[in-house]
Amino acid sequence: MQAIHGRALVVDCSTGTAEPFPILPAVSAAVLGGAGLASWLLLRFAPPRVDAWAPENPFVLAAGPFIGTGLTTSSKLAIATTSPQTGFIGDSLTSSYLALVLRRTGFDALVVVGRAPRWSVLFVDDDQVRLLPAEHLLGRDPEETTATLRSELGRDIRVAAIGRAGERLVRYAAVVNDGRLAGRTGPGAVLGAKRIKAIAVRGTGRFPAVADPDGVHRAARQLATRSLGPETAKYRELGTVANLAFFSRLGVLPTRNFQAGSFPAAEALSGERLVTQHRADRQACAACTVGCEHHFRTSDGGPATTVRLEYETLFALGSLCGIEDPNVVLRAAALCDRYGMDAISAGGTIAWAMECVERGVPLPGSPDEWPRFGDGASLLRTLEAIGERRGPLGDLLAEGSRRAAAIIGQGSEAWAMHVKGLELPGYHPKRLRAMALGFAVTPRGACHNRTSAYEIDFSEDAPASAERIAQATARSEDRSALLDALPLCKFLRHCFDDFFVEAASLVRLVTGLSCDADELQRTGERIVTLKKLFNLRQGWTRSDDTLPPRLLSPNGIDPAELDRLIRAYYRVRGWAADGSIPPERLRDLGLESLLDSVSIGS
Amino acid sequence: MTGHEDQSDVSTMTRETTCHRVELYGLPAVIAGRRTLEVAGTTLAELASALVVACPRLAGPVIDPATGWLNRGYVFVVDGRFTRDPATALEAASEILLVAAQAGG
Repeated sequence: MQAIHGRALVVDCSTGTAEPFPILPAVSAAVLGGAGLASWLLLRFAPPRVDAWAPENPFVLAAGPFIGTGLTTSSKLAIATTSPQTGFIGDSLTSSYLALVLRRTGFDALVVVGRAPRWSVLFVDDDQVRLLPAEHLLGRDPEETTATLRSELGRDIRVAAIGRAGERLVRYAAVVNDGRLAGRTGPGAVLGAKRIKAIAVRGTGRFPAVADPDGVHRAARQLATRSLGPETAKYRELGTVANLAFFSRLGVLPTRNFQAGSFPAAEALSGERLVTQHRADRQACAACTVGCEHHFRTSDGGPATTVRLEYETLFALGSLCGIEDPNVVLRAAALCDRYGMDAISAGGTIAWAMECVERGVPLPGSPDEWPRFGDGASLLRTLEAIGERRGPLGDLLAEGSRRAAAIIGQGSEAWAMHVKGLELPGYHPKRLRAMALGFAVTPRGACHNRTSAYEIDFSEDAPASAERIAQATARSEDRSALLDALPLCKFLRHCFDDFFVEAASLVRLVTGLSCDADELQRTGERIVTLKKLFNLRQGWTRSDDTLPPRLLSPNGIDPAELDRLIRAYYRVRGWAADGSIPPERLRDLGLESLLDSVSIGS
Repeated sequence: MTGHEDQSDVSTMTRETTCHRVELYGLPAVIAGRRTLEVAGTTLAELASALVVACPRLAGPVIDPATGWLNRGYVFVVDGRFTRDPATALEAASEILLVAAQAGG
């Protein structure tokens, strides 16, 4: 297989030692790279039932074979670790120049285990590894940390850093690089537990050779041209913030902690309004021709703030918390970036607290400090308290909605809107059956990205039967897993006429593997299965695949219908009725070597 | 919505066709500078043509001038159903939305 190095670098930050770990060609062919490789390495290096805070919990960064080939949007870094929120697999992707330099170190992945004896920067300088003192960086935000390290170590390094939220083990802390956050499932908190303030990488070697350089060059030019077509116009012209007003109109915009699906003030927060009244500029992330990253500036006369804003951040810090003022949302988004926190979980946890206050359930600390729906000042104050873990309220909410509700009790678990401990993203699933299923079964927890199942609900031929919804959701999940393994950005998914066929052509050109569309679809399924295997080994049970009680109500989704959907999904996957994976299914997918994981899980 | 053109609703209504209020989301709304346009048509194909007459700047970014139909980036939602079928017949009370085909993020 071309376009890989065939080895990972394993660093024990307890001792500062590092050694290469061979990745066998069969493994690379089976999982390709990116999220597939990261998941495999996590399974390989994590002990069973490892705790997220334990030194033994691996933190994996993985590159993929498309990185550095010139294929647009391919510079993405995959992260996998045990999530401090879910206790299951935590995987995140971030567009990154760091992915490019990591590939030039001569390694496909970096596996970090142990816990540094003091706060450190892990510096990977080609094949040399050093732990550098990091005390002078503590308390600095990720941007300042990056700037400091680049001035100290050289402009040619790239940095992934945590902010104060990661230092303080906020469970949904992010890893930040190039202004992008890998935040979902809290990988920044795992780095914090390892006392690693930042990972700095210098790679000066060559990218691994591709199988057909001329063919890859031609394909890259064609894909770049297609990436500028009407299929990506939405992302280029407005960005994902365009969703908000439309979602409110459809009744799928989570509002006031999912108590409603439409927000009366949606027009004030709409992407159209943001673009006409707050737009600052538009940028592209590493090696991307689409340029979906829209920056917006405040206009309220306060300290000027310009920040990148996506739909998920807009909904989570806006309608979910009943906030009508776009300036408040922009300031809240900037706070999440500065502290290094996942905005979806931050907003979701605060919305849970707001509902506690609304229902008269007391929170810790002074009532003057409690957050309230629609109160922008209280939202900003609470975000700062969480990022600092300041006071009993900040400390409570830093735990996320599931743990906070378990601590507070008084029935508040009923409005803690999470699946497996991960707060729901911006799709009210009451009217979205495929998305509801995706939220329930995806190994990561409530995630829209790992299945993109909303597209099934929003399609011309939206399926009605449980079997067809399950089939479409599983295939969409396989496609997402493959995109995350190559990697390519999901915003390109409509640029292909037949994704698996065309992706197979790209894989052949890049890697030389003789794969076809069917094999690639199996690769996607294999990666999903790896993630599920990890969860099984962590103690997953059938009861973990569910939705929050609020959604399983007479006004929401019939629990019997959700059960039918989940059972149909398991059938499509070839899993047992209890969600476990039969050994023969692992053999079908070429995962025989992982059979021990099944026995541990069962 | 705040905007800069099409300050009045534009109608291409004839005696035989029904006037429809089309809600615009995303780029079409920004281009039109408003959330709704009122145009006439008995099918989505006629509606698309009428939208270009009502707001010529939709031609190109949203509606292909060569075909008069939506380019691949856009879709109609008619009474809650997503469709790119130009032959879709419209009822007098039909709710019609014009949105980006890439729903979600």
